[in-house]
Amino acid sequence: MIAPAPSTAPTPAAVADAVVQTHGLTKHYGTGIVAVDRLDLTVRRGEVYGFLGPNGAGKTTTLRMLLGLIRPTSGSASVVGGAPGSPASLTRVGAIVETPAFYPYLSGYDNLRLLAIYCRVPVKRVAAALDQVELTPRAHHKFSTYSMGMKQRLGIAGALIKEPDLLILDEPTNGLDPQGMADVRNLIIELGKGDRTVLVSSHLLGEVELMCTRIGVIRKGKLVAEGTIDELRGEPSLKVRAAPADKAREVLENDAGAGNVSVLEDGSFTIKVDLDRTAEINQHLVMAGVGVTELRPDERSLTDVFMELTGTEGGL
Amino acid sequence: MLAAFRGELFKVVRRPAIWVCIVALVALAVIFSYVLLGLVYSHPPKGSNSSLPAGETLSIFLVTLYPINFIKETLSTWASLGGVFALIIGVLVQGSEFGWGTMKTLYTQRSGRLAMLAGKLGALAVVVLLMVIALFVATGAASLIVAGLEGADTNFPPADVIAKGVGACFLIYGFWAVFGLVLATLFRQSAMAIGLGLAYALVFENLVFGLLSLIGGNTINQIHQWFPIANGGYLVASFGAIKIQGINTTVSPFADATHAVTMLFVYLVAFTVVSALVVKTRDVTS
Repeated sequence: MIAPAPSTAPTPAAVADAVVQTHGLTKHYGTGIVAVDRLDLTVRRGEVYGFLGPNGAGKTTTLRMLLGLIRPTSGSASVVGGAPGSPASLTRVGAIVETPAFYPYLSGYDNLRLLAIYCRVPVKRVAAALDQVELTPRAHHKFSTYSMGMKQRLGIAGALIKEPDLLILDEPTNGLDPQGMADVRNLIIELGKGDRTVLVSSHLLGEVELMCTRIGVIRKGKLVAEGTIDELRGEPSLKVRAAPADKAREVLENDAGAGNVSVLEDGSFTIKVDLDRTAEINQHLVMAGVGVTELRPDERSLTDVFMELTGTEGGL
Repeated sequence: MLAAFRGELFKVVRRPAIWVCIVALVALAVIFSYVLLGLVYSHPPKGSNSSLPAGETLSIFLVTLYPINFIKETLSTWASLGGVFALIIGVLVQGSEFGWGTMKTLYTQRSGRLAMLAGKLGALAVVVLLMVIALFVATGAASLIVAGLEGADTNFPPADVIAKGVGACFLIYGFWAVFGLVLATLFRQSAMAIGLGLAYALVFENLVFGLLSLIGGNTINQIHQWFPIANGGYLVASFGAIKIQGINTTVSPFADATHAVTMLFVYLVAFTVVSALVVKTRDVTS
């Protein structure tokens, strides 16, 4: 039911539209740790790509390699058409890696001014970026006085100052309160509109579900699944508990086809059927004299999928 | 590279710790070399002339505080002690980036890693030059005040001597600053870098070669001439000693100024190359 990670190369159309592409990207550390293992990843233009995985799965190492902060042991990567970490690539990429890091003795405004100098963008972009993350009222206070949420928002403003084609955000809602998380989530959804591509890593499934158009799941450095949320969830099904069981099975098989009905250990049924037919199936069961005690959609949540893929309950 | 230089300069001129180092050096130089010594020389304590030629008092040393000697006086005391402040500045400029995690912020902007390092070295050079100029302006002004109070000649040394003095001090402080930068780069932090740098500056070279010279004589000097503190000393000594009435102040350094300047340049280049290699190749994992 879960879309496996593609074992073959992406289609030519996907490659042509790829903003991030890796081939066999691998990172070994000297201690024998394989942080990222032959990762093939394709992020297409205009999508909000969720990079999911439990803690220690290799998400941050991958993102650091895409930004040129870490050199891969083997494999290759292309980021907005350039080599990771090259000026050609970095010019078009805005990023936050783990916690946003700025100079504590400078104000938020001066920190962004500094980035504007480094990136050679007009200083007037600073005010616009601060405004975009609603940090203007505290712009001239020192970074060291900022709350976690404000630091995170300044990080996003820093990533936006280049007006990048690609945003790489590593756990952008880390350490935020629920309101802060919602604000950042909405901001990312907004930023992902249009042609801009957003690659966001997280272990918070709810966040990813709300923000992302496509998802890749990484476990122990390997991409174990990739697709849209619906693709990852698989087909929806209907759970039915009814008696007498024989009669119920007969009705369900007539409605959905024998191949689409399965009996669970507790005697209930799962049927693969269009959920719009729920009322109709219920009516058929009742008219056949079957007593229905439970009838509900049995959609797999992204959490179920994640746990199944990663074999963990971590990060939930 | 220009953008990186501008960015680094933007940071260092706004950083209070940098100004604390500069102000501390200037204040110490004026207070210890001119205020305290001026008081002692002009009002010698009883018994302080026992080691002086007959009939002389400590006031014969007032000449060291007059403007004509301010370059020699400043270099002889503060070229080595002030190096410690330059070392701290060098460490702070690089080491704090690791502590704050801002290395990843720097490296994900537009410029490459080596351009960032070049920008840092450029900004460091500006700060060190500023520190040297501030030091000489302050000691020059203090010497003028001492001469005025004592009714002595207020002439300064020729411009070329002043320029050479500033240049020599800049080279010595530059060495210490880049030494601090390379230590911070290697250890990825400030604390260890400052600790080791201070240990070298204040203890290691002088202690080791001081002890060895007791047994090795000229052979030890032959070895010592390749070490940085010794070369800083040769460079300062090349300005000659201040002539004090009745006291033999002749100095004869083991090596000349050319040797000293060459060696300090070699160290500067070597430290820069090591920093560049490490910066270029090392993963940024924090």
